[in-house]
Amino acid sequence: MSLESQPETVVVDADLDEPPEKVWRALTEPALLDRWLAEAKDKAEVVESQPGKSLRLTWRDRDADGGLVESDVTFTLTPMIGGGTRLRLVHDGFVHSSCMSVLARLPHALRRPRPTSLGGLAWAA
Amino acid sequence: MLPEAALFRTLADPTRRAVFERLGDGEMTVSDLRSGFSVSQPAISQHLAALKAVGLVLERRAGRNAFYRLRPEGLAPLAGWVDRYRTFWPERIARLKDVLKDMEP
Repeated sequence: MSLESQPETVVVDADLDEPPEKVWRALTEPALLDRWLAEAKDKAEVVESQPGKSLRLTWRDRDADGGLVESDVTFTLTPMIGGGTRLRLVHDGFVHSSCMSVLARLPHALRRPRPTSLGGLAWAA
Repeated sequence: MLPEAALFRTLADPTRRAVFERLGDGEMTVSDLRSGFSVSQPAISQHLAALKAVGLVLERRAGRNAFYRLRPEGLAPLAGWVDRYRTFWPERIARLKDVLKDMEP
């Protein structure tokens, strides 16, 4: 499993032993989905579906005040030699990437340091 | 902490986002900012007020002039929100692997 790091995008790649058809069932059959992504019931809405290949969702979450934050989740399935599946998850659409790229143009002292831990306020000055 | 939805919503407007990005070049007055935009000065002022309200922009007054600059740490809650998913998804995909192992062939 690997992670790419951009401040506004989450990418996770995973190599799975099972073939795309089976992975697809785990992504789309409610009883199976409920076992690993129960949140999908409340938060996910399918926007586009290419069976066995890709699934695009709108992901709706609420902040502490109940404010709605919408984003996009895309699963892409690619068959691997030997019968397994390369699964790529991309979670983006939170905010336009240009907002975050502003940080790269700022004087060094104001820039975001490399995150040292996950989940925290990575660069609160 | 500021609710994240307000921050995301504030940056969703393209003109407001452009104002925010322009301030990445340094501190400016409203009239400095206005050049290059096809919107009125009051409109720019409104966008600045919105950015200020969510902590993305700071205002400094000197005599009759007001200067605006970015408050980059204002983006931190937003990045924190995204970062939660950096732990969420790998954990969920680990569970998916368990589910796949249990499934009928």
